[in-house]
Amino acid sequence: MTAPAVAFSGVEKTYKRPRLLGAEYNTAVKGLSFEVRPGEVTGLLGLNGAGKTTIMKLITGLLFPTAGRVSVFGHSPADVAAKARVGFLPELPYFPPQVKPAAALAYYGRLSGLSGAELSLAVGSSMHRTGLEPHAGKRISEFSKGMLQRLGLAQALLHKPDLLVLDEPVSGLDPLAIHDIRALLAGLNAEGRAIFLSSHSISEVEKLASRVLIMVRGALAATVTRAQWEASPGGLEKLFVEAVK
Amino acid sequence: MNSLFLVRAVAFNSFSESVRNRFFTLFAVFAFTAVYASVLAGVMAVDQESRVLADFGLALIELTALAYALFGASSALLKEAETKTIYLVFSRPVPRWAYLAGKLGGALLTAGLMLLIMAAMHLSLLAFRGFGPPPFYAWALAGTFLKLAVIVSFAFFVSLFSTSAVSTLVISSIMWTLGHFASEARFLAERLPGLKGTAVSVFLWLIPNLQLFNARDAAGAAAAPGPAVLLPAAAWVAASFLGSLWLLSRKEF
Amino acid sequence: MYNYLRDTTLAAALLAWAAGGFLARGYASPFPPPSEMRVPAAGAAGDMLALASGSRRLFADLWFIRLLQYYGSREFHGEEEAGNGEHRHGEHENYGAGDYPLFFPMARHVLEVDPAFTAAGLYGAACLAFNMQRGEEARALISFALGYNPKEWKYLTMLAAIGYSRSGNAAAVAETIAPILKDPDCPVMLKQLAAFLNKKAGNYAAAAAIYADIAATSRDEAYVKNAVKELKKLAGTRLPPRGGSRR
Repeated sequence: MTAPAVAFSGVEKTYKRPRLLGAEYNTAVKGLSFEVRPGEVTGLLGLNGAGKTTIMKLITGLLFPTAGRVSVFGHSPADVAAKARVGFLPELPYFPPQVKPAAALAYYGRLSGLSGAELSLAVGSSMHRTGLEPHAGKRISEFSKGMLQRLGLAQALLHKPDLLVLDEPVSGLDPLAIHDIRALLAGLNAEGRAIFLSSHSISEVEKLASRVLIMVRGALAATVTRAQWEASPGGLEKLFVEAVK
Repeated sequence: MNSLFLVRAVAFNSFSESVRNRFFTLFAVFAFTAVYASVLAGVMAVDQESRVLADFGLALIELTALAYALFGASSALLKEAETKTIYLVFSRPVPRWAYLAGKLGGALLTAGLMLLIMAAMHLSLLAFRGFGPPPFYAWALAGTFLKLAVIVSFAFFVSLFSTSAVSTLVISSIMWTLGHFASEARFLAERLPGLKGTAVSVFLWLIPNLQLFNARDAAGAAAAPGPAVLLPAAAWVAASFLGSLWLLSRKEF
Repeated sequence: MYNYLRDTTLAAALLAWAAGGFLARGYASPFPPPSEMRVPAAGAAGDMLALASGSRRLFADLWFIRLLQYYGSREFHGEEEAGNGEHRHGEHENYGAGDYPLFFPMARHVLEVDPAFTAAGLYGAACLAFNMQRGEEARALISFALGYNPKEWKYLTMLAAIGYSRSGNAAAVAETIAPILKDPDCPVMLKQLAAFLNKKAGNYAAAAAIYADIAATSRDEAYVKNAVKELKKLAGTRLPPRGGSRR
């Protein structure tokens, strides 16, 4: 049996903030259980503070669960075996402004274990897929927000991951950039890659995802499939509003 | 995957970013101005000009390199966390020890380059005034580098639990100062009676004695440092590295 | 397993730090302890900085420059002055003669900060012994420096020269300090003294050689001018053979 791309089982994450006397605790997600199947596009919707970014970080091993279990392709997210199969695009990724995109990508390619001709090929391919080739001669300091987002996606694609974890991939982009990125993600999914994306844009998630998880104050309030929102008169937006109210 | 390959990738990226940063140039320009300004003191020392120029230059080189290296080390990890660059690193199959070793290696490579550039400026000044390098010059630079290695790795450790880059800078500078006072403090501790003396001696055991590496001061004295000083330097760097790794392995981003 | 690894890392870190302390335990500072430093009130902050930044040599240099400036300044009582108010650099007999009450503590302080500053030790002792006729202070200065450099032959030589000076044997002083003159640490004033003593003893060839050395190597214009002047004077003198002066 194929392991799920992502599996959360009774996951809780509580942040501890040390204070002068004792500490302050804040539970970001609690009792969270869900799965993302290989090759599936899963959307994650929720208001600010609902726990979306926490979930992304738990999947990528940047955070450790306080309770419960997270697995990525059957491995702990901290395992090399899991990380080798995941590509992550954080919200508003940063790249050193003084270098050109290929140099930045080469660095992240090396960190993914690529070298030599394989690395050059991966950098070229990622730039091509994300439409960065015409801007190859520019320094990153000259990049627009949309180009930075493309670069962020390009670094996530370098090692041909089986799962893409994308935090707000179209946030702040102009309509043309959104269109391009949507097409790119659809193409990646068509290749069999699972995509797990969070967004504030319900319409974007609606266009891409086959299933949506709606988070409310750290708990999974609803799981909605494409068939369900297509059958609903108000679409996904109505279902989301009902869930978060 | 070869972890050493990852260490090298992180180190060279860190080195390249630091060298491209405008602060590197600013510090180099500052060093140039300060080193060349020491001509005035040299002239005042008349027949001791070569000694004064050598001492001023080596001290300025060390203090400038220290300021630069501490400035970089105290913000290196913090900046990567703040800019979320670290997300792109730790979401990849990069062991935390390899990342830490790479960052430390990059910081030391940059400090080493800074030292070499300033030494070239200094030697050019000495040549301009008609002097060659003093015989202990290479040792003095090597000693400075060892001091930097100890204090930069300590700053990495502190930066992983301190609340800001400024507090890391302050704590590391205090350690630097204590490190130079270690011999004098040990002398005073030996004269303190009973428990007080023991307590101070134990405390001093925790302070890395940076005078061990102070070849630029010991050069004229009977006890110029030998290669054996590499061992305590390696022990302190390794300790700071392991301490940093202990903190980093618990750290969430 | 993960926690075990973390705990092992912490234990290894503590062990490595302790190992650093253990490996460094044998270090003995070559410098005078703080109790030996008689810091002038105005210099306490500087000395703190010297120790805190490991820059003893640098601060010893600064103290030496201050000593040069102090000794180069005009004294208003009993000192023979040149027309411009500076010391006479012409003849050595009255050169630098004056009270200069702070000279000894200042010279000693240079050595307290860096006892390996041989040139400063020789300069201080020579000024005290030969210019100011303060042999006891000169001996005290050299003895202090010798405490930290017991094998420094230049200090031992200077100590002997001070002894000859007290017994008024100028020729022996000149002969004793001769080996120091070839050393790069030799202060130019000591060279000038040697030249003067040789000239006084009629050993013109030796005096001329020393003046020529001063003219060629010193960066002190006053000494260079004087050396050139003396060389011109000596050129007009019939030079007896070298070494003939001690008879």
